[in-house]
Amino acid sequence: MKKLLTSALLMAMAVSSWAQTPEEKGLEIAVEGDKRSEGYGDSKVKLKMVLIDKKGRQSSRDMRVKGLEGKSGEGDKSLMIFDTPKDQKGVAMLTFTHKVKSDDQWLFLPALKRVKKISSRNKSGPFVGSEFAFEDISSQEVEKYTYKYLRDETINGMDCFVVENIPTDKYSGYTKQIVWIDKAEYRALKIEFYDRKKSHLKTLESQEYKQYLGKFWRPGLMVMTNHQTGKSTRLVYEDYAFNVGLKEKEFTKNSLKRAR
Amino acid sequence: MMKKLTAPLVAGLAFMSLGAKAEVSVDAQLDYEVSAYANDRATPGVDQRINNSLSLELEVFTAWDNDAQSITFKPFFRQDEMDDERSHGDIRELIWNKLTDDYELKLGIGKVFWGVTESAHLVDIVNQSDSVESIDGEQKLGQPMVQVLLEREWGNLDLFVLPYFRERTFAGSDARLSPGANYQDAIYESSDEENNVDLAVRWSHYWDELEYAVSVFHGTSREPTLGRDFTTGEFFPYYSEITQLGVELQYLNEGWAWKFEGVARDGMLESAYFGQDLGLDVDCLTCVAGSPLNLYVATADHYFATAAGFEYTQVGIWETRIDLGWVAEHIYDSRQEKASFGAFEHDVLLATRWAANDDADSTLLVGVVYDYEYEDYSVSIEGNTRLFDGLSMAVEARVFAPASDDVAQYGFRDEDFVKLTLSYYL
Repeated sequence: MKKLLTSALLMAMAVSSWAQTPEEKGLEIAVEGDKRSEGYGDSKVKLKMVLIDKKGRQSSRDMRVKGLEGKSGEGDKSLMIFDTPKDQKGVAMLTFTHKVKSDDQWLFLPALKRVKKISSRNKSGPFVGSEFAFEDISSQEVEKYTYKYLRDETINGMDCFVVENIPTDKYSGYTKQIVWIDKAEYRALKIEFYDRKKSHLKTLESQEYKQYLGKFWRPGLMVMTNHQTGKSTRLVYEDYAFNVGLKEKEFTKNSLKRAR
Repeated sequence: MMKKLTAPLVAGLAFMSLGAKAEVSVDAQLDYEVSAYANDRATPGVDQRINNSLSLELEVFTAWDNDAQSITFKPFFRQDEMDDERSHGDIRELIWNKLTDDYELKLGIGKVFWGVTESAHLVDIVNQSDSVESIDGEQKLGQPMVQVLLEREWGNLDLFVLPYFRERTFAGSDARLSPGANYQDAIYESSDEENNVDLAVRWSHYWDELEYAVSVFHGTSREPTLGRDFTTGEFFPYYSEITQLGVELQYLNEGWAWKFEGVARDGMLESAYFGQDLGLDVDCLTCVAGSPLNLYVATADHYFATAAGFEYTQVGIWETRIDLGWVAEHIYDSRQEKASFGAFEHDVLLATRWAANDDADSTLLVGVVYDYEYEDYSVSIEGNTRLFDGLSMAVEARVFAPASDDVAQYGFRDEDFVKLTLSYYL
């Protein structure tokens, strides 16, 4: 009897997996990807942002990013400190990511010693003149999108799931994102962004993935190309460090004033 | 002034050599500024329509003890072609910062900013305005302080002991952007004069999209009452001992930022003069029997002042990268026509803020401040862009349109100017 029940259960599971809708499969992939990035605790990284215009002219910005993983269902916290351009030195931005409600974000302007809360409404706006929007650089939480698995595809010799993500926030600048996630490690290798008119606006390609602490994969280079303007932005990551012992008090509104 | 500041400077440098093992970073900002005025001065003096000015600000920083302790030293110098009062030096910061698990301690000369509104900074009282630097009151003198900050579940509590007072700077009588007055030495209500110990406390917190703060200040007012010496015709700044209660509120809702700040003050002088008894309803402070020259003052009742309004931001207008913001604020002072010189009694600010979101971080702010009772107004334009990494450019233009000769702005009627600043970062 017991045996019979078990096999019936197994069969039911098999059927349900077979009958899994594309939405369920898309969500499952997102949840698995999220699970694999859990447990990093805190992180530190140096970042060079290179803005490239249509004619190939470049300008760059250097910044450092500290991250703190959210505990018990909270979103991650991050602190970004600008080192260059020189007139922006000491500008710092603190973000509290939330799973459902809008993120909280504060900007510190060192010349005035003023901490200003930024409206979450501007998430679709360009981040410091780059082709990345605020929402592209904020921490990705599963709850921020609804998902739909589209197909399998191979890019750069890697087997990928192709999933459509639809932002749940009405202030998102996108109607959808098409994401290529490799089946082996659940890394987002490529994302296509579709604007409010549903036309293909930008493509993000993440390369030079490296594994840290034997677990966490992070890209060494991200390239965002805007197809409508011909401009692009490269993000070069250096000196990644995890579990460096950052504390909650390094991610407070007040900590912005001493961030350097 | 510089003499007084040498002692803390030496102490600070001695301190820094203690942390000599730590890495020391030095940054510098060199500004060249040229201003052009549309007219000759309305008041007598040397007529000069073009003014050149140079300033240098250094920032020396070092941290040790795993970044739990640091010292910041920021000296500032300006050399101005026209105005000897504007050629000045100041220690903007020379402060030791210590961070522990329970509190943060700051000791030295520092700067803090309080407030949320754009049109007026009513609540912001810790630092004195360096008025010769800019007429908007946003440039500040370094303030000696002991600051203890507690970050708790129930919010942030900042406690300040301010042991030394900095006098406001004023443009020289024959300089531009000056009402043409000569100033005598400051007079203090406190018998300790500039050594009076002021106290301040501010509690701030946020809940969801609402940010709020309440502050109390007790000590010498940063804002002087401008007194008149009727024997010489000169002005003198009188610094009252006041108690100020401040409130700040900001609520973000979608594209809207709703802002309010207000102060209630007690103890501020309404007016002061040196001379004979004019039979006004004033108190005589230094009455010597039979003397024809005494200091008479009128103390204001409690009064309050508020600034309230909103900023609405449209992200990516006309399908471009440009953000467009609209600012509207109302400023009110319960003293009305008795309000101190330069205060906004019943004014509105209407402004528009443009952010190009380009690689040069270009911004433009155009605003009008309109006094709807006196019907005078002023227009300002402020633009900023980066020419390349290390060189930025700012343009500021102001037009003053006083409606009659009995408003404070009247002294500025011929001071319309355009100013170009090139900032070089070393």
